[in-house]
Amino acid sequence: MTLMDDDLQSIWSPELDFGTPAIRDADAVQVSVTIDGREVSVPAGTSVLRAATEAGVPIPKLCATDSLNAFGSCRMCLVEVDGARGVPASCTTPCSDGMVVNTQTETVRELRRNVMELYLSDHPEDCDGCARGNCELQAMAATVGSAEVRYGRPESRIEVAHPKPIDESNPYFAFDASSCIVCSRCVRACGDIQGTFALTVQGRGFDSAISAGGTDFLSSECVSCGACVQACPTSALQEHSVVELGMPTRSVETTCAYCGVGCSFRAEVRGEGDDAKVVRMIPSKNGGANEGHSCVKGRFAYGYAAHRDRQLSPMVRDSIDDEWRKVSWDVAIARVAAGFQALQAEHGLGAIGGISSSRCTNEEVYVVQKLVRAAFGNNNIDTCARVCHSPTGYGLKQTFGTSAGTQDFRSVEQADVILLIGANPTDAHPVFASRMKKRLRAGAQLIVADPRQIDLVRSPHVEAAYHLPVLPGSNVAFVNAMAHVIVTEGLHDEEFVRERCEDADDYLAFIADPVNSPEATAEVTGIDPAQLRAAARLYGTGANAAIYYGLGVTEHSQGSTMVMGMANLAMVTGNIGREGVGVNPLRGQNNVQGSCDMGSFPHEFPGYRHVSQDDVRGIYEQLWGRTLDPEPGLRIPNMFDAAIAGTFRGLYVQGEDIAQSDPNTQHVEAALRSMDLVVVQDLFLNETARFAHVFLPGTSFLEKDGTFTNAERRINRVRPVFGSKVGMDEWEITCAIGRAMGYDMSYAAASEIMDEIAATTPTFSGVSFARLDELGSMQWPVFDTTSTGTPTMHIGEFVRGKGKLVETVFVPTTERSTRKFPLILTTGRILSQYNVGAQTRRTANNTWHPEDVLEIHPADAEVRGISTGDLVDLSSRVGSTTLRAMVSERMPAGVVYTTFHHPVTGANVVTTENSDWATNCPEYKVTAVQVGVANARGDAAVAEAREPAETHA
Amino acid sequence: MTGSPDARMGNDIARQFAHLPTPEAAEGIARHIETFWPPSMRRSLEALVAEQDDALDPLLIEAAGRLATHAARTEPDAHP
Repeated sequence: MTLMDDDLQSIWSPELDFGTPAIRDADAVQVSVTIDGREVSVPAGTSVLRAATEAGVPIPKLCATDSLNAFGSCRMCLVEVDGARGVPASCTTPCSDGMVVNTQTETVRELRRNVMELYLSDHPEDCDGCARGNCELQAMAATVGSAEVRYGRPESRIEVAHPKPIDESNPYFAFDASSCIVCSRCVRACGDIQGTFALTVQGRGFDSAISAGGTDFLSSECVSCGACVQACPTSALQEHSVVELGMPTRSVETTCAYCGVGCSFRAEVRGEGDDAKVVRMIPSKNGGANEGHSCVKGRFAYGYAAHRDRQLSPMVRDSIDDEWRKVSWDVAIARVAAGFQALQAEHGLGAIGGISSSRCTNEEVYVVQKLVRAAFGNNNIDTCARVCHSPTGYGLKQTFGTSAGTQDFRSVEQADVILLIGANPTDAHPVFASRMKKRLRAGAQLIVADPRQIDLVRSPHVEAAYHLPVLPGSNVAFVNAMAHVIVTEGLHDEEFVRERCEDADDYLAFIADPVNSPEATAEVTGIDPAQLRAAARLYGTGANAAIYYGLGVTEHSQGSTMVMGMANLAMVTGNIGREGVGVNPLRGQNNVQGSCDMGSFPHEFPGYRHVSQDDVRGIYEQLWGRTLDPEPGLRIPNMFDAAIAGTFRGLYVQGEDIAQSDPNTQHVEAALRSMDLVVVQDLFLNETARFAHVFLPGTSFLEKDGTFTNAERRINRVRPVFGSKVGMDEWEITCAIGRAMGYDMSYAAASEIMDEIAATTPTFSGVSFARLDELGSMQWPVFDTTSTGTPTMHIGEFVRGKGKLVETVFVPTTERSTRKFPLILTTGRILSQYNVGAQTRRTANNTWHPEDVLEIHPADAEVRGISTGDLVDLSSRVGSTTLRAMVSERMPAGVVYTTFHHPVTGANVVTTENSDWATNCPEYKVTAVQVGVANARGDAAVAEAREPAETHA
Repeated sequence: MTGSPDARMGNDIARQFAHLPTPEAAEGIARHIETFWPPSMRRSLEALVAEQDDALDPLLIEAAGRLATHAARTEPDAHP
């Protein structure tokens, strides 16, 4: 949707605000009410305010908004109801059948005018929001006809009754109490939507004021999600960008480019063409994944797209020691094509390959795998899912029949027990975490299995029933013990197991073996057997029990086994195939599901079909006009090994920073140095670009036209806010390489690529840009154009027919703590930063996390003489790095923790070559390390030693 | 002992099948490798076996002898 200048009034709220939330109960009876003579039918429980809005009768309001439950404080939405006494607030009055409502009687109009006069009597005439036309108070004053204020009105913000300094501590927004009407929308948004409860109303009566817990916003518990700013009806809470750039003049509906939640946003823009600037990102109420909520990354951290580090020109150099030279697209593409062809001529077809990115669109990654399979003539295509959720793909396909989570995000609202394993959603998937917290506040029980005491273990109004601090590397023993308790205590769903699953007898006998008991595995898992038994009973008897998990599951040498173990647990308790249950991966990157769906793995075509299948290969051979390789290609770590062995010589890397994100940095760098031609396509000269010979500038999500698929299989549209800043779309770059190599691959538009995907992939058959534009989004499988998608999978039958119960034998990792490396390092993420930080490090998000730190237990710190803030050396058998320590009881003794967002600290310098047995997903979560106070090296020396790629805040 | 990454990854797979009777385990390992390993790595593994590399798990050696020339021509089912 693009709004024109004459629609300015609606820019700040183009989505109609119904005042109170919709009633979602599908079984609710319909009631009929008459409002100002208009009859409307609504579900019972709907407020009069909402019903009136639905009937096209807007009622003035200030404290009401449809993202929050009714509060009834502002007294603007007063109405009269036939047969009822008084003037009830329409927001808190539910409709009843036959009700007759009058919204414009002289009585209520006079009351509204009087109330509005009181609001205006302490609202400054020089209010910036009013001047910008960005103030609901001003708009409502005009609506109710409060032209005069009999009590006087302060001329400026310093003349209000209780003037306070503007709080500008947050890097993205300011709070000016002088414009605040204390409607509590911000307080309620922080609590009800975000679940952080950072804001409160301090004082009583006329002295009452909004407060961030008695301190400024930055120092408070505020997580900068923007919900309060979104909710504010005045400009008391206002984005700095609106002040700096002015109000937007048009908006474009698109999808966030950060985590796998895949939030829908309305990019609000000012200007056209090269002058166009994003003023702000407003989360879309109609977004299926986020339903109007956002986090600090999606809401505010988009400035990297216009950062001065952004590269806009193709560049080449003869050797990685040379300076880059800017060249034309033709020269750069010709260099890539000639280089790759020469390598294949000398070293064979398999000497080159490509890596696609989960930060690119489905259409962009599809053409990369097509380039590799059809133009390169091999299957050496892999994607960054290799290092995160490849075990999810393997494990869920083996057990359920398809490589994806089973539910939509909304399903969590029906969960009674939530088992959260190896995931930290409040940091890594914050918008989903808010949904989860809302359900927990409503009474669902939480079990957290994680070595670290994540925020969800205990946070405002949320406390886990059980925190099981499972030791890194012991997940499979843990999940087997959970299933052992359930089966041996007769808590399993015998009917589901017999009717829906296969290999039941073998599995039940295997899991009932005492070696899988909590007592027998306690030494390995570190979990109190009584606690584990209690948690298993809760999961096994809790009606709807849902598993959510993250990289703490997958990034182990038994990651795939653990995924199958969780699938076993869900199947054996019958927690599959309906709302509120399931096995749900929380995927890291915005399009990691999509990049896997699009055939980015070396052994399978789009739709997870093995390259050896003659019928599937035939589809592509006919369409693409090339004979395709029936054998699997190289995975990313295989490419590195082959490069060092001298058989793999050229690599096309789309939007990935493998030199920072992949384990054992020295090994990765050695591999990159061994290659003759490394082509990096990215926004920035990242760490990998230090080893590249050709740099091809990529496009940010604000320039892309395509689709992302999130962790709930939801295909969302990504729409360009402005044109490509580099002169080409990324799929055009890939196609140009193909053509230069003699393979004709061309599309007139990105929509044609999706049309090709739909024509060749059964699970996408009913997908097109036109249908997505019409429906908003769809969750695959979408088998035909009569389908609108599949929110819940495996209802009645698994994709593979019967669910497969797998004997998940626990095989310990070979990575063990030793006398030399007595601690275990595990890694994770933090709210304000994202992945290798290429995007977020180039935003004000550095305010919260300027560097990676090492969390260490007090006992481990004390024996090493380490205090918080000390620079410490972190070393493993493969390398060492230096970073700052933070002494914390969040970690159990013997386990240390860090993030990998900053190249200066380079956590992957110490991670090893160990990987998941089935998929080679790196074992990031288990590295034996030693920690000691660093020698007298300063920060500058550390930074210089690592020679990070250029990064500016 | 070569310290070959192929040996390391093959051994990792073999350990997952070690609880099964040897013939069944060897078949499972072989099918998994056929499904996911490119021919160059399969040939490399066979070469390591021929060289009697002492880093190889005996089950992996058993499996290497059962590797087909080509990847399976139907959707493989490759789990323990």
